[in-house]
Amino acid sequence: MVKMAPGCREIRKSILRASRASGHGHIPTCFSIIEMLSAVYETMKHDPARPQWPERDIFILSKGHGALGYFATLAQYGYFKAEELSTFGAFQSRLGCHADRKKVPGVELSTGSLGHGIGVTVGMALAFRIRNSPRRVFTLIGDGESNEGSVWEAVMVATHLKLANLTILYDANRSQVRSLPIPNPAERFAAFGCDTAEADGHDLDALKAAVARPAATVKAVVAHTTKGHGCPTLVNNMFEWHRKSPSPEQLEQFMGELDLP
Amino acid sequence: MRKQFKDTVTELAAKDERVVVILGDISHFLFNAFQEKYPSRFYNMGICENTLISVTAGLSAQGFHPFVHTITPFITERSLEQIKLDLCYNEFGANIVSTGATFDYAWDGATHHCYSDLAILRLLPGMEVIQPGSKKELDALIRSQYANGKPTYFRLSDHGHNIDVPVEFGKGVVLKDSGAPVTVMTAGPILGNVLEACNDLPVNLVYFHTLKPIDKELIARFRHTKILVVHDAFGLHEAISEVPDLSIRCHGLPDQFCVWYGTVHDIRKMVRLDPAAIREAVRARSQI
Repeated sequence: MVKMAPGCREIRKSILRASRASGHGHIPTCFSIIEMLSAVYETMKHDPARPQWPERDIFILSKGHGALGYFATLAQYGYFKAEELSTFGAFQSRLGCHADRKKVPGVELSTGSLGHGIGVTVGMALAFRIRNSPRRVFTLIGDGESNEGSVWEAVMVATHLKLANLTILYDANRSQVRSLPIPNPAERFAAFGCDTAEADGHDLDALKAAVARPAATVKAVVAHTTKGHGCPTLVNNMFEWHRKSPSPEQLEQFMGELDLP
Repeated sequence: MRKQFKDTVTELAAKDERVVVILGDISHFLFNAFQEKYPSRFYNMGICENTLISVTAGLSAQGFHPFVHTITPFITERSLEQIKLDLCYNEFGANIVSTGATFDYAWDGATHHCYSDLAILRLLPGMEVIQPGSKKELDALIRSQYANGKPTYFRLSDHGHNIDVPVEFGKGVVLKDSGAPVTVMTAGPILGNVLEACNDLPVNLVYFHTLKPIDKELIARFRHTKILVVHDAFGLHEAISEVPDLSIRCHGLPDQFCVWYGTVHDIRKMVRLDPAAIREAVRARSQI
């Protein structure tokens, strides 16, 4: 197994602390996307001091319930202070359990209902193509989310238009083992016309390489991940922990698990 | 009305580079010249209405003024959540232009009829809902609203009226005010039937081309009269009823699927929205 990048460990710790403080958060699903988010934020052209910078690339979290992981990553990359994460889900917080683009610096689309974000990114990528702009668009979708037909509509349109400025990261965290799993997702993206790569979804360098590789059409990166990655207790009990916050004792236990070599 | 839509949008595209047309595999032939002139701003994106709206939102987010166009029930009812979230909740402006109002596609049956679109879209915060009755109204309202940053719904019909009505977004129009004790209120293409039905009856007549925002001030002026809403869709009666203290009734559609074919005129007759049946309803409300 690849060693966890220090920044990704810090983000996971922020998530645990915020979930403990707020009583909210989908911790296992957030833990599965941290390396993907970090790979995108280390690849994208962006400036946390100027979230509306006109030349920035765009990232959209289509699987909106990963919001706490998203916010913790935005804080790590300088969009706001990590202390604000403790307000997650509170009445007047900017940080709801699904992100609101009108409230959170760096958030470009309010998501939550599954199967929406990816379609919007197709429109954004098309907008940049029409303007001959070098700006790029990245979106992260879930394997559960990909039960939605609208995901595949969007992929069809994107590949038909050969939107080479669009990268789809697919979180293959096997969340659907008990309902509608998608076997061989990479084959499916390839069949839909994407330039598809697979990667260990917890290997930051491998993900960065997969995201940055040149392609003539839409890129899909199927990232094989583990819900709860970094905390064996979460990994082994992902359904129980889907939407649960740790007690003080559990917080300490999970922090310890994260620090294991 | 569809041709007018194409003419107006083509003209706007010539002077506004932010105009983009997205089709759901309908009206392609109509837009041939547009496609030739502005190939990078024309996309027949296929039969995927959910994605049409999401893509429209993405274009809008990056500064374009998109027009998305396909058949009424598919772009409104099927894509309701995309309209609600991708456009309204995210506050991205766009122009949704449907074709095939109520029973325009009579012969195609209930899958292609649509009479709930106005009613459901007017419930979405931030949405503008427009039912133009004529080419003139469509042209004027597209020009005034297309770039205002709000999601706007234009409901096109193949059976518009030819009555020359003043057009200002959000304003109802008093077509007749004879101080009568009864006021007929209507909207969109059915005005033709309504006028034919009651032009010579002692009633006031108020017309709307904008359903949201509805002109509450104008409605309130007729509060002292008995109001009869005549409409061939859901939504207008509900919008007018938001004005308090009205004595209001509706002569509209039945609570059933309309399972007949034929033409729009056949079905209007069956559901009592032909001029003779409307006249009867107005006379009953007026007790004359």
